[in-house]
Amino acid sequence: MTGANEGNVEMKGGLRSDQISGVVLIAIALVVIWFNREFPVGTLADPGPGYVPLLLACTLGGIGLLVAVMGARSQSMAETEWPEATRALIIMVACVAATFALERIGYRLTTAAFLVFFLGVIERKHPLAVVLVSAGFSVASFYVIGTLLKVPLPVGPWAF
Amino acid sequence: MIETFNSLMMGFSVAFQPQVLMYAFFGCIIGTLVGMMPGLGPLAGISLLLPATFGLNPIIAIVLLAGVYYGAMYGGSTTSILMRIPGEAASVMTCVDGYAMTQQGRAGPALAIAAIGSFVAGTLGVIGLMLMAPTLASFALRFGPPEYTALLLMGLFVLAYMSGGSMLKTLAMAVLGLLLGMIGIDVMSGYTRFSFDIVELGDGVGIVPVAVGLFGISEILLTAGQADPPKVQQPTLRQLVPTKADLKLSVGPIMRGSVLGFLIGIIPGSAHIISSFVSYGIERRLSKHPERFGNGAIEGVAGPESANNAAATGAFVPMLALGIPTGPVTAVMLAAIMVHGILPGPMLIQQQPDLFWGFVASMYVGNVVLLVLNLPMVGLFVNLLRIPYAYLYPCILAFCILGCYSVSNSTMDVWIMLVMGGVGYILRKFGFDLAPVALGLVLGPMLELSLRQSLAMSGGDYMIFLQRPIAVTMLVLGLVLLGLALKPLIFKSKDWRSSVGLDENID
Repeated sequence: MTGANEGNVEMKGGLRSDQISGVVLIAIALVVIWFNREFPVGTLADPGPGYVPLLLACTLGGIGLLVAVMGARSQSMAETEWPEATRALIIMVACVAATFALERIGYRLTTAAFLVFFLGVIERKHPLAVVLVSAGFSVASFYVIGTLLKVPLPVGPWAF
Repeated sequence: MIETFNSLMMGFSVAFQPQVLMYAFFGCIIGTLVGMMPGLGPLAGISLLLPATFGLNPIIAIVLLAGVYYGAMYGGSTTSILMRIPGEAASVMTCVDGYAMTQQGRAGPALAIAAIGSFVAGTLGVIGLMLMAPTLASFALRFGPPEYTALLLMGLFVLAYMSGGSMLKTLAMAVLGLLLGMIGIDVMSGYTRFSFDIVELGDGVGIVPVAVGLFGISEILLTAGQADPPKVQQPTLRQLVPTKADLKLSVGPIMRGSVLGFLIGIIPGSAHIISSFVSYGIERRLSKHPERFGNGAIEGVAGPESANNAAATGAFVPMLALGIPTGPVTAVMLAAIMVHGILPGPMLIQQQPDLFWGFVASMYVGNVVLLVLNLPMVGLFVNLLRIPYAYLYPCILAFCILGCYSVSNSTMDVWIMLVMGGVGYILRKFGFDLAPVALGLVLGPMLELSLRQSLAMSGGDYMIFLQRPIAVTMLVLGLVLLGLALKPLIFKSKDWRSSVGLDENID
């Protein structure tokens, strides 16, 4: 339930969240139109692979314009709070690192290291709990998903 | 009627096979646990379990995933009532009066009425599904490309009208989803579009990484770092028994919620969320004492809980009869069927009667399992909520990575999930509803194919949509609803959302 509420009683100055949203939507539409130029649009009787993407990009641009124009009463960007942004960034970086490692060092090692980072470094839990949860989760999930349900999971050079 | 009965009996012979029963039971348990955990809604649960169904037969796969779906609907109500934490968005309205009842020491009757309402709604919903889906499927055999185009466009217009938040933003998200659906090989010309020389993108963007990213990862990004959940009340079995007055007050809301939820469930969009809001608004309006709402009115639990469960069943009607998903959950379930080489569409019921009727019968079984099993075990289930969130969210993240990787054994799906997670986080901060993105992604290729085929049929004449009665009816209906959705924007009047308390955007 976060986000920009339309119709705030007390309005602060500056850019509005919907105005920025509208501009970003228009930018996305323009990028799609730019990349879509590689594909033939065709004719009405024989529409090509570029026809529908062009139609959709134009629609998106039009909606973006309406969102921006009608966004004058939306929440001010200055009022939008981002208290969880730093934590969210750390989570994303850790997920990116885990994805890089997954096929290189295997599922169990990656997952154990991933959980040690979160529980030990970020959440600062007791070392014994960190070790038990990390090792237990990675081994148990590999056993259930990989061994019992026969879903192939990556195994690294050290057979983990 | 006799034919339907015979088919249902055949379905029960499938559903009562020990293996199918076991998986239905297993799905309900997993669903309940998933529904109770904040950050893991039914969609994330189903998406993560999807790879594990590849080795199963298609009937068992769909029975398992459906069990997770309606189990999650039930599980979400438990945390809403006991802790004021909606395990998933459809349970938001249950929090209001359910938690107020808990504070008054009446958590037991609230949980019992939620379970009974869910059971009645689920059962009535299955009867509706059983009667409507075959009729709709035989009607849909008359559909050609123009009718499918009109149907899909009508679905998108209805989505805009019924959206929980801003209509323009909902449409923007649907178009964004449709554009995502354009990535990959164009089936009519063979061109590979928007793949940026990444081989894996040639097959397009999968629904699972998009859904897990948009809903699972973005939820964790928004909630990480929050305080541990508060203390949980555990009502005893005796406390669960509702009084006669509770039952009397709940009968009407349960019946109205069931019918309303089922009808809204058939419509594309966040049906189960909207149905619970609309049901709450209607019950408050119909009540002789509307001031009780918000202060522990049992009707405020009975109506929304019945509505969201009936909507979950209603969503299966277009999925099974037409092969068209109404939301991300049914889209993932369609993917589960397609993995087994089964083509969804109007012919599914005729060609795969075991699958359809076995599925219908298993839903009756699943509803009974949920009622009988979950109420006595509620004390056991809430123990899960004692796990501190600091331990829970890293494990959920690891599951998300594992689930997406397993779909096609490729890290590309994990990258897509992470990108969509980041995009979803920002979109939610800006008040966008994410369900239309996932829906657009699935409908995109269908809409493009039927539109281009229609234009090829008519030699480029758009009038083809106005010359065919079924197509024109659906288009007119969709445009009327779009007009109604635009009215408040143009004339600054209030629309249906404000009358049911749905002013805020639904994430």
